[in-house]
Order: sequence, then structure tokens, then C-alpha cells
Amino acid sequence: MSLELSSGLRKPSFVKRRAIFLFISIILSFIFLSSNLFILQVVKGLEYERRAQAVARRQMPIPAQRGEIYDRGYDIPLVVNRDSFAVDIIPGEVGDNERQELFRKLSILLNITVEEIEKRVPPRYYHLYQPIEIKSGIDFETIAYLGEHIEEFTGVAWHNKPVRSYLEMGTLAHVIGYVGDISREEIQILYNRGYSFGTVLGKNGIEKKYDEVLRGRDGTRFRLVDVRERSVKKKSIEDIPPVPGNNLVLTIDRNIQRLCEQALGERIGSVVVLKPATGEVLALVSYPTYDPNMFFTDKAAVEYKRLSLDPASPFLNRAIQSSYPPASAFKMVMSTALVEEEVFPLDHKVNCTGQFEYGDRIFHCYLRKTGHGPVDFFSGLAQSCDVYFYTVGDALGVERITYYARDFVLGAISGIDLPGETSGFVPTPEWKEKVHHIKWLGGDTINLSIGQGYLLVTPLQMANIVAMIVNVGEIFRPHLVREIRDPVSGEIISVVEPELIHTSHIRKSSFRTVQKAMRGVITEGTAKVVLTTEAVEIAGKTGTAEVGKEDKWHSWFAAYAPYETDNPEDRVVVVVMVEAENEWEWWAPKAANVIFQAIFAGQSYQEALDTLKPWWYVKWLQEQEE
Amino acid sequence: MKRVSLFSFDFILLGATLVLTVIGVLFIYSSNITSTGLVFSNEYIKQLIWALSGCILLAFFAYFGYTRLRNLSLHIYGFVILLLLITALIGKEVNGARSWLGIGDYGIQPSEFAKLALILFLASYLRGVGNGVRELPRFVLGFGIALLPMGLILLQPDMGTALVFPPIFLVMVFMAGARLRHIFFIFASGALVVVLSILPAFERLILGRELAFFNLISNLNLLKYLLIALLFIALLAGWGYFRFKRSYFYWILYNDAILLTGVLGSLAARMVLRDYQIMRLIIFMNPRVDPQGAGWNIIQSVTAVGSGGFWGKGFLQGTQSHYRFLPQQSTDFIFSILAEEWGFIGGMVVFLLFLVILIRGIRIAYTARGSYALYVGSGIVAMIFFHVMINIGMAMGIMPITGIPLFFLSYGGSSLWTAMIGVGMLLNIYQRRWR
Repeated sequence: MSLELSSGLRKPSFVKRRAIFLFISIILSFIFLSSNLFILQVVKGLEYERRAQAVARRQMPIPAQRGEIYDRGYDIPLVVNRDSFAVDIIPGEVGDNERQELFRKLSILLNITVEEIEKRVPPRYYHLYQPIEIKSGIDFETIAYLGEHIEEFTGVAWHNKPVRSYLEMGTLAHVIGYVGDISREEIQILYNRGYSFGTVLGKNGIEKKYDEVLRGRDGTRFRLVDVRERSVKKKSIEDIPPVPGNNLVLTIDRNIQRLCEQALGERIGSVVVLKPATGEVLALVSYPTYDPNMFFTDKAAVEYKRLSLDPASPFLNRAIQSSYPPASAFKMVMSTALVEEEVFPLDHKVNCTGQFEYGDRIFHCYLRKTGHGPVDFFSGLAQSCDVYFYTVGDALGVERITYYARDFVLGAISGIDLPGETSGFVPTPEWKEKVHHIKWLGGDTINLSIGQGYLLVTPLQMANIVAMIVNVGEIFRPHLVREIRDPVSGEIISVVEPELIHTSHIRKSSFRTVQKAMRGVITEGTAKVVLTTEAVEIAGKTGTAEVGKEDKWHSWFAAYAPYETDNPEDRVVVVVMVEAENEWEWWAPKAANVIFQAIFAGQSYQEALDTLKPWWYVKWLQEQEE
Repeated sequence: MKRVSLFSFDFILLGATLVLTVIGVLFIYSSNITSTGLVFSNEYIKQLIWALSGCILLAFFAYFGYTRLRNLSLHIYGFVILLLLITALIGKEVNGARSWLGIGDYGIQPSEFAKLALILFLASYLRGVGNGVRELPRFVLGFGIALLPMGLILLQPDMGTALVFPPIFLVMVFMAGARLRHIFFIFASGALVVVLSILPAFERLILGRELAFFNLISNLNLLKYLLIALLFIALLAGWGYFRFKRSYFYWILYNDAILLTGVLGSLAARMVLRDYQIMRLIIFMNPRVDPQGAGWNIIQSVTAVGSGGFWGKGFLQGTQSHYRFLPQQSTDFIFSILAEEWGFIGGMVVFLLFLVILIRGIRIAYTARGSYALYVGSGIVAMIFFHVMINIGMAMGIMPITGIPLFFLSYGGSSLWTAMIGVGMLLNIYQRRWR
């Protein structure tokens, strides 16, 4: 007992040392823990607070209403948004033994296969509480049915997802384009401009070019989720409301568009109608066309494939994306060069025998047998005498011809507000040598003089050739959008002002001379028999391009009216281009005749036909009666 | 001679204990409700019952003379070893470890009580050997007493709990006057085992390349030669020491033996330990190597603690916890939810309360009457201390995840009772200091 007592009261000295050591170790350890806690909570506290928020915060876009598109009348929209719904599944709310049955019922209701649903909701999503979109473009009736029978569809939800509706499109599809879900490639390019996965954006036409005007700004819905992605009721951040996109008013006149469409009929080709004084495009027709609404149907993929493989290329906007040899229509450019350069006097007569000898080659006039006899400038252009223009071309030389072609902005895009415009092509001796390894020969110059050979021009460029002649040396940028308007108030936000894209140094008087000669084409030249309208005085030029097909030619007609006016604003340029793919019937000037009649008499296509009674129409009527 | 007063309690120690227990119940409640205020678990009620019954145990051990415990210590130790054996054979498996013994939902974790049993029996052993602890065989025998329950717990396998045993042993023999070189030997070779065991995973996941010298150990062919070399050195040095009695032979042997133990131990560890256990050890160095898997707990816990800031988000206002990003909130990560909701202030309050318990504990052990009380007291202090360091370090991401509870706070009857009994014993020692 006493031993125990003494050992208890008087411990060996090392006990005290070691107890102090233990004491200090514990104190230091707690200082270490405290300083770590201080660093974590006070020094880096804000950073971790952000992380804690980030881990629980989810944001969903609230889609903005896309702007509507009107024609220049701004009365009835051409493109609207139709209410539509998308059906979602929240996999976590679906019980394991209900899933099969639910998928089966949904597949019947939504008219899709069970496999498609299973593809969108794979087993690894089964525990998720995040809605997964199964199908969009669902109509209200189906949603109403779902709503009434919701107890049979546990775990099914829906949200509003308006679809684009294109009304009375006709050939406007090429102008307006269509929208679609953003693709992987597009998102790589557009990521920094606020586009994200699931974004709907313009894929073509105005929808693409003006996407940022039309799209508005998506809002954001914030929600907090727990670890299983279930929404937590507590609301911490206000939603950001979406900003609707602006409305567009086009320069297109719905009636003229319809008219040109009917005048072209079911012929592969295109029509351009524009105001040379401003560059406003009143009609832009390309046939064949497609219905953009098909992109929102169940058959979209099949239809898209079929149209893509169609040899007539319905997706091609021939007015701006196809270029052709201009043929005799190029003589407008040649005439301007001749008048400006004065290589020989306008009254100088060239004797057309039907053929033109150049070196050891012989070039023919289209009147092979008889020839035109002696022709001067005015009769040469009116009759479209090839031999006369061979002589002009020979006298000008290739350098000057290409210089003038470029002055008419050939071989360059016009900058119309549509995607995918092609620039056509102006050949040069250097180009030929570089690409074909053959020297540019005098014969190439002769060919070029009548717009054959390598020269390629789009219908829109053809319209600009006429516009420059009408405007005595100025070209305004062709454009399709007239105004941008506020979607709610309808107030004009901005007006597209005419933009001068080219000013020529050619004397104004030269253009006036060419105008006079073009008037001759209608009054006593090649177009006399066809351009029968009395509604307005027209000046223009025909063109018939050889494309190497027997009994088939591209048919051009480029003209403007009225020939004389005090108000240049009244003038319109009409270019009709009918491809050689069609039955040959020299259609371009015939169509233009009806178009001019209808525009200037304020008539419809049918009324214009009834007024003009062209022989082909009369003949057709007779055939119908028989 | 003074009479023992029934009321000469260490009220500071008791107060700190009770305050911590109450805080524990509060935060178990917080972890039991969802963000919408829905109570989905009644763990906090169970904890309350355990706390109340724990108080009775505390009172019992505070009055039940520890000398009588000393006489019973071998029986207690033997009984616990038996329980551990039964647990290893027929225990209930929870979270991959067979650590539960009981019927239905009611059960205990014998491994928790094993710490107390070790403390009591080891103290009795150390008191018996007295200064003999300075001799190597007695020291080794003492270590064997600690290794036996530890080995049985490793079999469950519950590495976290097992890892607490060596520090308890080391602190107790340290206070008993063991030679520092012996203590250091265990410390160094233990550290070497841990380092060498996790090195392959460290190379693969964090370094991304192989360390050339480590080939010696990971390549079995080279390892053979390494072991032979180490063994040869050991024999040579041993022979030299006995032949020439020069101390440098002793130190060569000493260091060689540390290396040999480390290499052999890591070999054994790599055979026994499962991949996920090594992964848990490695993950605290960089939780990002597996953010959805093994690193998830650490990332969510550190985010919870950090986002609490200085003042905290307020009681029941934590987002990491109530949105359930934080796993095992009521048990392993109870400190994380506390730090998220009460912030730095709350964390410091908890630290101070633990510090009070530990310092009072050291004081009680130091002023205790008799060496047995000294050893028991320091063992209890060591037990509480290492639990606090490892658990809170884990919650802050500076210690590996080992899944050991935070005494007084974590949900769980066995750990709470163990801690309460420990405090009861400390109070008992305190009362009897002047008799």
C-alpha cells in the first residue's frame, strides 16, 4: 500500500517530461487543425461557397420567341411560330416494373417505336430526375390527352416548344430558308456567340443570314437540385426572362413573287425582279423548290434525303447559286465597251454573211445561211448579230473585254443578304494558261464576245448588268430585308438603306446609248414578236446559250421598264433564266412579257394572260378545247 | 487523509463531454432532415437514447473503482478478444466490413470496446513490468497485446479502427518509460509499411510514372535480392555486435531491421489490403483522380466545410448536407455538416471542447494516484486524440478517409458509449487522486 502511494505521488522524473511532451504535441496538433480550418473556411471560403452553389445549381434555357418574317406589305406574316409541345420522361420517377408498360403506351401515343424511346432513355439514366426529351412537335390534342390521363403516365412531362411554320411558301423557301437544331460543327464555330446545344438556328436563307436578329435571347431558368438531380423547392436566383427576336420585313412583294413563280411555271430556272434604284429584290424565284415545313414532320429525314438526291437539285437557289454562260445577253456589256471605247463609229457597217473568219477558224452567226447583211451598232444589238460582235470583240481585245466584264461586277459576288452566293466566272488568258496549260487564242476572244466559252454569270449578276445600265453606272447592293421591327410594338428598329456597291467610270452618255439600243431589241429586234405588252415600254436583251445539247439552249431574258421615266424608283429589272434541261420553247422572253404586263397593269398572272393573249397561250387554249 | 468525496468531480471535463454530446445530437438531427424540413430518419432519437444510457455508464465507471477494473482487466481483454473472434466469423456485414455483432437492428461494434479493453489490460501489464518495459522482450510482448485485437479487426476488415491501436500503445508505453528507440522503431517501420504499400498506387495515379528505385520492391526478382541483402546485413551486424560489442553494429542492425520490417510489412499489407482501401489512402493527396468514386466523399466534404465560411450557413441551412451531396453525414462526416452550418466559429468551439477534454485528461493522468491510473488515463487521452485528429483531418481533406467516428459527435452507440466510458474512467481517476 505504501509502495503504491509513493509511486503515485512521486513519479519518476521522465513522466513529467513525457507528459509535457504529450501536452505540447496535442496543442500543436490543434493549432495545425485550426489553421487548416481557417484557411479552408475563411481564406478560401468564397471559392468553396461558389463550388457548393455550382454543384447544386442547374440552369435550363427558356427559349426566346423567334421573330416573324413579313413581305414588303407588312400585313400577313410569311413565317410564324406555331404552338407545339415536346414530351419528356423523368426516368427517376418511373418505377422499375412500370417502365416497360409506360414506354409501350408512349410509343403508341406519340407514334414512335419503343426502341427510339429506349435509345433516348438508356438504363444508365434510370435514376436521373432530369427531364429527357422524347419527341417534339406534339400537338395540343395529344398533350391534352396526356394531361387527362396523367395518372397512367407517371414520370411523363411536357414543355412548350414552338415550331416554325412557313405559310404559303411557294418558291420563297429559297429566300427564307429554314431552321433546325444546331449541329456539332456549327456549335464549334458559334459557341462564343451564345449558341449552345439544343439551340434552334437558321440553316439557310434569311433564317440563317439574319439568325442573330431573329433569334432573340434565350432566358434562363435556375433551379437547385440535390445529389439525385431532384429539384429542391427553395428558390435562390430569379429567372432571366427571354428576349423575343425581332421581326423582319422583306423587300419581296408576295404578289410579284407569286406572279414570277407562275410565269416560270414548272421549268427549271429562275427569275429575279429588283428595283435598280435601291437594290431591293421584289421577287427571287428558283424552280424546283421544296417545302421547309417538311423539316418538322416525322418524315423529315426521308424527305431530306430524297430531295438531296433529286437530280434537279431543289435545294439549289438557282438565282444566286448557279452560273451560266450569258450568251447574247453579254452583248449588253460588249455594247457598253464599244460605245465607251469608240473602237469604231456606231454607224460603221459590218457585213454579216453568216460567218466570220478568224485565222483558220470560221465562226458562225446564228443566221448561218443568209446572214444579217450590213449591220451597224443599233441593228447589230437589236438583231443580236454574232458577226457584228465578233468584229467588236476582235477590235477590243480580251483585256478590254474582261476589264468591262469586271466593271459590271461579273466574277464577284454582289453581297446579297443570302448565304451561298456564287461569283460566276470571268476568264483571262493567264487563268487559261495556268489551269488548262493552253495559250489563250484569238478564237477564245471571239467566243467570249458573244458570251460563250468560259464566261459564267448568275441570274442575279445579269440583273445587276441591267441595273448598272439603267442607273448609268451605279449598282446598289441587292437585298432582301427592308426593315427590322420590334416584335411587340411593331416599331421600326432599323431600315436597310440602299447601299452603293459599285460606281463605274464609264460615261453616262455611253449607258444612255446602250439603253437606246436595248429599247431597239424590243421595238424592232429579236424580242419584238414576243414582248407584246403595251402596259409599259421595255428595254432589254435576249440570250440563247449553247450548252452542247442538241436542240436545247439556256434561255435568257434581261430587261427593265419603263424605258423612260421621271421617277427612277418606278423602274424594275426583270431577269428570266430557263435552263437547257427543259423542253426548248424559248421561254424566258415569254415569261418576262407576262411579268411586265402584270406588274405595270397591276394584274394577276391570269389577267395578264387574258390581256396579252400571246399566241402560245391561244394555241394552248385551243388544244385544251380539243 | 482526505475522504473521497462523491462530488469531487472534474466538472469541466464532464461539462465539455456533455456539451459535445448535445452538439452531436443536434447535428445528427440536422443530417436527418431534408432541405424541405422533412425528417426521414430517427437516428437523432436513437443517439439521444444512447447518450442518456451513456451517461449512466459514465456515472457507473466514474464511481466504480478502477482498481477493481485492474483486477478484471485480463478477463475483459479475453472477453473482447472472444467477441472479436465471433464477429470475424459470424458478424453482420455493413459497408463491406464484418464489424457488427448483434440481433436484428440492434448490435454493437466490439472493435470500439476493444480499445478500452486494450487500454485496461495494457495498463495492467505495464504496471506489472514496471521498469522492465525498457527491455526489448517485455516491450515486444506489450506490443503483442495491442497487435492481437488489431489483427482480428483487420480481418473484418476495418483498417481505420485497427490503425488506432498502435498509437494508443505507443502513447501508453511512452508514458510508462519505454525506450525511445523502441518507440521510434515501431513508428518508423510502421510509417515505412504505409508508404511502401501505397507507393504503387501513388506512382500510377498521382505521379503518372514509375520511380526507378522503387523497382527494387515492386519487382519480385529484385525484391528477392534486396531481402537477401538486408538479411545478410542483419546477420553480419548482429554477429559483429555480439562479437565486438560496438554500438555502431547495433545501429546498423537497428536501421536494417526497420527497413526489413517495412519491406516485409508492406508485402503483407499489399496482399491483405484491397484495392479500395489503398485507394482511400491515396485519394486525399489528390481526390481529383477519381472525383465520382473514391474522391467524391473528400471533394464533397471539403466543399461543405469550406463553403461554411466564418459564421456558417446557419443550423439546418447547409446545402451540401441537405441536398445530400455530402455522404455519411451523421457518422464519418458529422464534422463537415457542423462546419458547414456553424462555420469557423462552430469548428473552433468543437476544437476547444476537445482540447479541454484532452488537457484535463493529461492532467488527470499526470496527477493520478498510481501508475495504473497514469497508463489508463494516457491511453484514453491517446484514443480520443487520434480519433479527433484522423476524423477531422479527413473531413478537411488532409487525412486519408479511414471511416473512424468522431467521438461524442458521430452517430453510433458503440463509439459514444466507448467515449463516455473513457470519460467516466478519467473522472474516476480524478476523484481518487488524493486517497
